Amino acid sequence: MAYKPQYYPGATSVAVNRRKHMSGDVEKLREIADDDLVMILGHRAPGSDYRSTHPPLAEMGEPECSIRQAVEPTPGAKAGDRVRYVQFVDSMYNGPSVPYVRSYSAAINFRGVDPGTLSGRQVIEARERDMEEVAKFQIETEMFDPALSSLRGATVHGHSLRLQEDGVMFDMLDRARLEQDGIVRMHKDQVGRPIDKKVELGKPMSPQEAAKRTTIFRVDNVAYRSDKEVIEWVHRVFDQRTKYGFKPE
Amino acid sequence: MAADRKKLFAKHLEIKFTKEHGTNKMEGGKITDMVGKYYRLGVDQNPRKLEMKKAGQEIAKKRGLVGYNPMMHCGGIPLGQRALTPSFVSGTDMMVEIDDLHYVNNAAMQQMWDDIRRTCIVGMDLAHETLEKRLGIEVTPETINFYLETLNHALPGGAVVQEHMVETHPALVDDCYCKVFTGDDELADEIDKQFLIDINKEFPEDQAAQIKAAIGKTTWQAAHIPTIVSRTTDGAQTTRWMAMQVGMSFISAYSMCAGEAAVADLSYAAKHAGVISMGEMLPARRARGPNEPGGISFGHLADIIQTSRVDPEDPAHIALEVVGAGCMLYDQIWLGSYMSGGVGFTQYATAAYTNNILDDNLYYDVDYINDKYNGAAKKGTDNKVKATLEIVKDITTESTLYGLENYEKYPTALEDHFGGSQRATVLSAAAGAATAIATGNGNAGLSGWYLCMYLHKEAHGRLGFFGFDLQDQCGATNVFSYQSDEGLPLELRGPNYPNYAMNVGHQGGYAAIASAAHAGRGDAYAVNPLVKVCFADSLLPFDFTAPRKEFGRGALREFMPAGERSLIIPAK
Repeated sequence: MAYKPQYYPGATSVAVNRRKHMSGDVEKLREIADDDLVMILGHRAPGSDYRSTHPPLAEMGEPECSIRQAVEPTPGAKAGDRVRYVQFVDSMYNGPSVPYVRSYSAAINFRGVDPGTLSGRQVIEARERDMEEVAKFQIETEMFDPALSSLRGATVHGHSLRLQEDGVMFDMLDRARLEQDGIVRMHKDQVGRPIDKKVELGKPMSPQEAAKRTTIFRVDNVAYRSDKEVIEWVHRVFDQRTKYGFKPE
Repeated sequence: MAADRKKLFAKHLEIKFTKEHGTNKMEGGKITDMVGKYYRLGVDQNPRKLEMKKAGQEIAKKRGLVGYNPMMHCGGIPLGQRALTPSFVSGTDMMVEIDDLHYVNNAAMQQMWDDIRRTCIVGMDLAHETLEKRLGIEVTPETINFYLETLNHALPGGAVVQEHMVETHPALVDDCYCKVFTGDDELADEIDKQFLIDINKEFPEDQAAQIKAAIGKTTWQAAHIPTIVSRTTDGAQTTRWMAMQVGMSFISAYSMCAGEAAVADLSYAAKHAGVISMGEMLPARRARGPNEPGGISFGHLADIIQTSRVDPEDPAHIALEVVGAGCMLYDQIWLGSYMSGGVGFTQYATAAYTNNILDDNLYYDVDYINDKYNGAAKKGTDNKVKATLEIVKDITTESTLYGLENYEKYPTALEDHFGGSQRATVLSAAAGAATAIATGNGNAGLSGWYLCMYLHKEAHGRLGFFGFDLQDQCGATNVFSYQSDEGLPLELRGPNYPNYAMNVGHQGGYAAIASAAHAGRGDAYAVNPLVKVCFADSLLPFDFTAPRKEFGRGALREFMPAGERSLIIPAK
């Protein structure tokens, strides 16, 4: 019987959503044009070439190496791209994803990625074109909401602050705004530099939709203590790590 | 006990988040609101920031070189895009500016560290044996008193024995002195009261009995070298300065020959054989001498803090004061400055001792434990619950769920602890200290700390930052490790313990857990009775019975430190 990954325990919608994010089987909700993505990432000008740190691998005359033969390089590695980042921030008020699940999602579903997980932000570093693929995937799917998640290279504390009166996650650098037509647009790139044109991120999810799709436990939505299986699983992890240190077997 | 009990943080968060402070326009609303108004007023909304801005401008003008300028933040977007709010020091009603909880801006914090760094404990018995057995000199209470009078002249920098000597000005070193203590009540009665730390007077009766039984008939000197000396040199200087002056005082008080061989024995006793530093020397890669913060074990810090002798019936309070002291010393000064540099650790560390959020969580836990485990959180040894993994899981899980739900029900509490590392520290300190109080076992409390981290991470899908999380993912494995270098009792671990060396935000919590285990049992001390007695002394500038209140006084600019040098500088 083929192995079927279980990804995550639990019976609540939050647990189900975590499994979806981790499996990569997420719903596509919007599209972002390649040039728009490049603009808000802020690493290069739209249409410009990728900067490289070494010649394409095919031109480098690589040594005989079984690992190199076994592992197909990613497109970015093949081309010699530099390593760049995308950094997501998710509000704790039913933001669609959470840092650890974003990291799991990237590591499980993409190759050549280096996810970093913090409390307010989640960074994915990879060869530039590979990183853009991950970023596009996450922005276009239910892993992203224009109001409750955001691309922020710095000042990420909005994740835990009260929402603005318009329901958008506070941003000290005011990178994205909900405009009068109900669309959220980015005025600045990830690190807060003004960009040449506004980039449309789409309409925010309704509060009900966000509550349904979120991957964070909250007492006013899906309470953590209501998912007995998740807590039991945490206890099991704790038990085993503790006992292993006491008596490794 | 009920989950909807009055929250200890409610009053302070209401003032912080629904009342205007300075001109921040934070008027109205509720602390449970999920939506806030953001006026983006910048630094001018806050009185202290305004004062700092003005100072920065004056300094630039005076020296012709720019300095502090809040508009340099984020390329011209200053702090204060959200409301800048003050904080309350937990356990007090002292409202302070958060800038004033940085140790640079807080004289009380500086003095707490000064008072620890400049302190060492020196045994008298080895020296007395040398005098009596080797030299045949009689040692009596009278000679001890005379020696102590000599030492209190010499320790600050007064000359003895030698002629035409440079001396330090007494007004610059007036915080320097030496007292003695002993477990021998008969000898204590004979010591001049000005020199004595009276165990019977400073400690409750049951604690005094424990301490005297541990110390026995030995006699110890609590020596505090001048703050100004310690600041100019380092912690390792403390025993050297002390030993030189102790040696000279013995020579003078007992009319010894300055060059006789027995002096070397006295010197060896004072410098090595009979001396206790507050902190151990660190290995070369961290390269600090004794009496620097990285070498101060959690047990020593638990003993340095004196709340246990003035409020022994409230183990939670004792642990909370150790949290405050530990977060300040280990996070703000040790990790924040010695190890890392920068100023950011303060914002992080203060979460554990401001606005009563941790206090609320821990006192909830105390109620929970007392209800479920028949008063196990009360002081005592017969009422403790057995330290098993099942107990750790039960108490820690309840504590963590309660704390997490507070952040979810009170968005202002979440906003106050806007970094996940802040929340993680607070939640785990509560869970760990509660488990330690209930079981009387520090390592059971530490186990609770790590379970709390796991639970927290899965609830919110986030925890702290890379390095923070790494250490908490693997920490459970070393709590009861069979390997001695990993499974050390918590009291003997310290900031330099494997995996703790860059363990930001944890070490105050660890010290509190060590303290909580013993406070829960009603122990007079956590690991070293000598350290506990040494700091049971109201003559020290910093009041170690109430560190959080002292930090508040420092922030309000009410604390008078030692080691000031205004005597020798031009008057302003």
